[in-house]
Amino acid sequence: MTMKPISSIVITLSLISTLVACNQSTTSETSKNGDGKKLVIGATMLSMQNEFIVNVHDEMAKKAEADGIDLITVDAERSALKQVEQVESFIAQHVDAIIMNPCEVEASSPAVAKALAAKIPIINVNSETSTKPSAFVGSDDVESARIAMKFIAEKLGGKGTIVMMHGYMGQAAQIKREQGAREILKQYPNIKLIAHQTAEWDRAKAMSLMENWIQSYGSQINAVFAQNDEMGLGAAKALADAGLKDKVVVVSIDAIPDALQAVQKGTLDATVFQNAQQQGSKAIETAEKIIKGQPYEKETLIPFQLVTKANLSQFMK
Amino acid sequence: MENNLNSYFDKDSGSYKLLVRLQEVRKYGLLIAFVAVCLALSLTTPRFLTIQNLMIIVTQVSINALLAFGVTFVIITGGIDLSIGSMVAVTGVVAATFAHPDEYPVIVPVAVGLLAGLLFGAFNGFVVTRSKVPPFIVTLGTMTIGRGLALILSKGRPVSNLSDSFNFIGGGKILGIPTLIITLIVTFIACTVVLRKTVLGRYMYAVGGNEQAARASGIELSTVKMIVYTLCGGLAALAGILLTSRITTGQPNAGAGFELDAIAAAIIGGTSTSGGTGTMTGTLLGALLIGVISNGLDLLNVTSYYQQVVMGIIIIGAVVLDSVNQIKN
Amino acid sequence: MNSNSDYILQVSGLTKTFSGVKALDQVQLAVRKGEVHALMGENGAGKSTLMKILIGLLPADSGEIIFEGAELTAAHVRDVMKKGISMIHQEMLVVPELTVAQNIFLGRETKGKLFSWLDDRTLTKQAAMLLREMDIQIDPSIKMKYLSVAQMQMVEIAKAISNNAKVIIMDEPTSALSEKEVATLFRLIKDLTSKGVAIIYISHKMEEITALADTITVLRDGKYIGTRPASELDMDTLITMMVGRKIESLFPESTTQRGNEILSVKQLTRHGQFTNINFAVHEGEVLGIGGLMGAGRTEVARTIFGLDQPDSGQMYIRGEQADIRSPQDAIRRGIGYVSEDRKGFGFIPRLSVRENITLASLPAHAKGGLVRAASESAVANRMMADLRIKAASPEQFVTFLSGGNQQKVVIGKVLLSSPSIIILDEPTRGIDIGAKAEIYKLIHQLKEAGKAVILISSELPELLGLSDRIVVMAKGKQTAELSAQEASQEVVMHYAMQV
Repeated sequence: MTMKPISSIVITLSLISTLVACNQSTTSETSKNGDGKKLVIGATMLSMQNEFIVNVHDEMAKKAEADGIDLITVDAERSALKQVEQVESFIAQHVDAIIMNPCEVEASSPAVAKALAAKIPIINVNSETSTKPSAFVGSDDVESARIAMKFIAEKLGGKGTIVMMHGYMGQAAQIKREQGAREILKQYPNIKLIAHQTAEWDRAKAMSLMENWIQSYGSQINAVFAQNDEMGLGAAKALADAGLKDKVVVVSIDAIPDALQAVQKGTLDATVFQNAQQQGSKAIETAEKIIKGQPYEKETLIPFQLVTKANLSQFMK
Repeated sequence: MENNLNSYFDKDSGSYKLLVRLQEVRKYGLLIAFVAVCLALSLTTPRFLTIQNLMIIVTQVSINALLAFGVTFVIITGGIDLSIGSMVAVTGVVAATFAHPDEYPVIVPVAVGLLAGLLFGAFNGFVVTRSKVPPFIVTLGTMTIGRGLALILSKGRPVSNLSDSFNFIGGGKILGIPTLIITLIVTFIACTVVLRKTVLGRYMYAVGGNEQAARASGIELSTVKMIVYTLCGGLAALAGILLTSRITTGQPNAGAGFELDAIAAAIIGGTSTSGGTGTMTGTLLGALLIGVISNGLDLLNVTSYYQQVVMGIIIIGAVVLDSVNQIKN
Repeated sequence: MNSNSDYILQVSGLTKTFSGVKALDQVQLAVRKGEVHALMGENGAGKSTLMKILIGLLPADSGEIIFEGAELTAAHVRDVMKKGISMIHQEMLVVPELTVAQNIFLGRETKGKLFSWLDDRTLTKQAAMLLREMDIQIDPSIKMKYLSVAQMQMVEIAKAISNNAKVIIMDEPTSALSEKEVATLFRLIKDLTSKGVAIIYISHKMEEITALADTITVLRDGKYIGTRPASELDMDTLITMMVGRKIESLFPESTTQRGNEILSVKQLTRHGQFTNINFAVHEGEVLGIGGLMGAGRTEVARTIFGLDQPDSGQMYIRGEQADIRSPQDAIRRGIGYVSEDRKGFGFIPRLSVRENITLASLPAHAKGGLVRAASESAVANRMMADLRIKAASPEQFVTFLSGGNQQKVVIGKVLLSSPSIIILDEPTRGIDIGAKAEIYKLIHQLKEAGKAVILISSELPELLGLSDRIVVMAKGKQTAELSAQEASQEVVMHYAMQV
């Protein structure tokens, strides 16, 4: 590389400062802490490439702006190590509170411990860590899968064969959603899970996997449970292409806009709504309460809601 | 080494000709492996060897194959392009942005997507030829840039609600044959012609086989490389547009890791990483082999963990064969 | 063959077959203590195979090797080396990052286990002693990569001696050496033989054989042709033995008159490589450029061909100033260049003979970017026939051809770009005498056809035999321009050594 190290450092630094500047929202009405300074909250998010997370964050940003809080957001890019480092830097900046959307249950835990040790409140949003934070705002992933699977079971009349698409194996969401699905399956002994495989949360991969399953099992399949909407949409597309969509129930989780559209069109039978808006705004709200010494909920569980054609209108914007 | 073979063989003898023919043995080796895998699968599952399933395999393979064709051009000239996966995302998002219903005729998203890919590829080529930075580093950089661009253009969200005519490009059928397969065949023929029948194709082999000798033969190295990277970008764009159409949405995180599958297909197909050799037929076979194995293991309900192990073994096997070949030469 | 204590190495009835083809057929070789035994033959005669069997790289099918009175049975390279046969390879097998001493004792550092302590100081001391004994002035503690090729060769020889070598095989040892280094090597060889070490010497250079060899054994097509004392063998007989047919005169008599000036260079300079070079070439003329290796001759050729840019000076083609910035420019203006570095700049190894031959003129056989196969094949076949390129087929990879045929492919490629000025840089290096004669004939034909030829050669007989005029260079400067009458080996050498 021809660039001299010094100039590259300068360029990198100036890039970082512009990026930080972009992230700091300007506000009219301003919240202040005891010293009369504007409140600063640092947020580290699992991945800003994930639509749901982006939605949670947008809601956080909206709420922060409304309340006149400086929200500094960083993207952990799915790396727990990076996340811990980001929290360390928040601590060094003496932010008033930290909101963390953890990458991993165990590996992101040190970040919580460090924040607490520095006496900075830390709020976990959307998913958990093994070390208990000051507060948790989110939903129970196990529950979402229970809701989805229960819908399938009822739709099939308690009898039939199904397939399941996993997310990235070993991630908290994958583990919990599988757990919830299997809990319900136990209550319905006549529903047989004939195949389950990962499609890595990905629509194109899910489509290929579904095509292969159709080859394998043909019209045996009565229902598909996909652990997220991306995969559910891929499976639905493959089924539609094979002319089987009318015969197979497809249910997935997250209620992303594409999925809501699909429910409306009838290509997707149901999805489970995880309330990104509420998670985002509640996280900021809880942080504010803690900073200001007001009473707050240690654990705020935002309930999931099943979305079908019947109640679709309340979720479409 | 030059006189070794000549000290062993009389050049007019049959055995010498046999040896020359042995140069081709790898291609047949791959073909044999491919047929063996197909045979094994059709014996273990009756669902494998059906017209419909074969059609599905080719459909699933086609996107990787298009990328692999592009990267084969690049590898033959002695380069590498790691940014193709990101180009899939960028061009997919760009095309999707122009593909909403009732906005533009379907040619617009296709043209704009292709243009984006060609420009991106040309940028790769420009940096590679103008700087002394190795292509591995350059395209590692543009891989990240591309991913970022895709996220910026899409604001981190999938671009959906695409017109039916756009969704037909990668998801439709003509006379019962999926459009993806048709595109694959046409592109394969076009790439083969470019590589085998044109002056440009010959120059690619020359540049990759011996850059200095190519230069001394009056070949403008930078022009050839520029064209090759641009071509690779164009093929990545084609793949990106087809993928977007197939999954009916432009995903900013689409194509992550695709570069590795494409490079693997090329290498399994006999393209030497040191440049100067490779064929489109080999690459196509490589991509098909990857596709058949993944499809077959899905049919047999083998978890993807094993699929990855199997794929790794095949890649190493191909490269070992290649290096054995090189030592022999 | 009778066992004779005079002989240190006796090979008899040695046969080796590869896939049904006899590479060696009943070959014999008898080497005396303390002699230089030249092994000669064209490429493909079986010299390399014989040497590989001798040092244990290949097993023989049948035959007998007696070394110091005992049979040398199918052994491993390392065992053979321990017993006293070493080979100095053409391509140096050294570890550049290790020191001279470490290289000399590589693989024999300690007698202990793999993880025992390495005593570099003792190693260096021993190496220093060895080098002093051999009168070689190289610091044993410097890294190998800082040595010249000649110095590396010395180290290799020292390594062989430290292995108690009684027979040392040298394969084309002077191919990358300057004249001065060659002299040092010859002195060392004389020194070794006086101590009773036998040298098996493989070379294509006749003058080296004349200067060094006591005995000459000739192989042809894997067969033993004969062994003669060097003193009884004249050049013509030797060539006839090697080629199997009589080669008339190596250098054909010329009848052409030179025509108009076609290329001239004035004050051509490239800093650090050459300064103030002035010469002109005419149609129907061979201009020789003589000098030692490193005199800057190749650099001048590269600059004329546009591979490098001059710092100052001008080039004129047919009287017009020519600004040549790239090989494309040069080719367009009718200049062809056959590099001294065949592998590096000459051919594309994994392309076929046909594809290599047409590489520099491909657009002439294409329409709309598509290659017209029939036209291309026709022209390639014609060139193969004209230059008598021996290949299994036009589709054979060039990497599988012999050096001489590879060289002809490169020349064919250059000729097809229809140049009027042809620069041949060491065109016969490393190729056998038969192919050499053909290339000489070709140069003659080019001249007769009115082309201007610039011939760069380190082989004085070749330079003198072919050139109409000779420019001599030394250390980047032009020291003389001689007519054919003025030029002789002594005169050219005189100017080549001038500073």
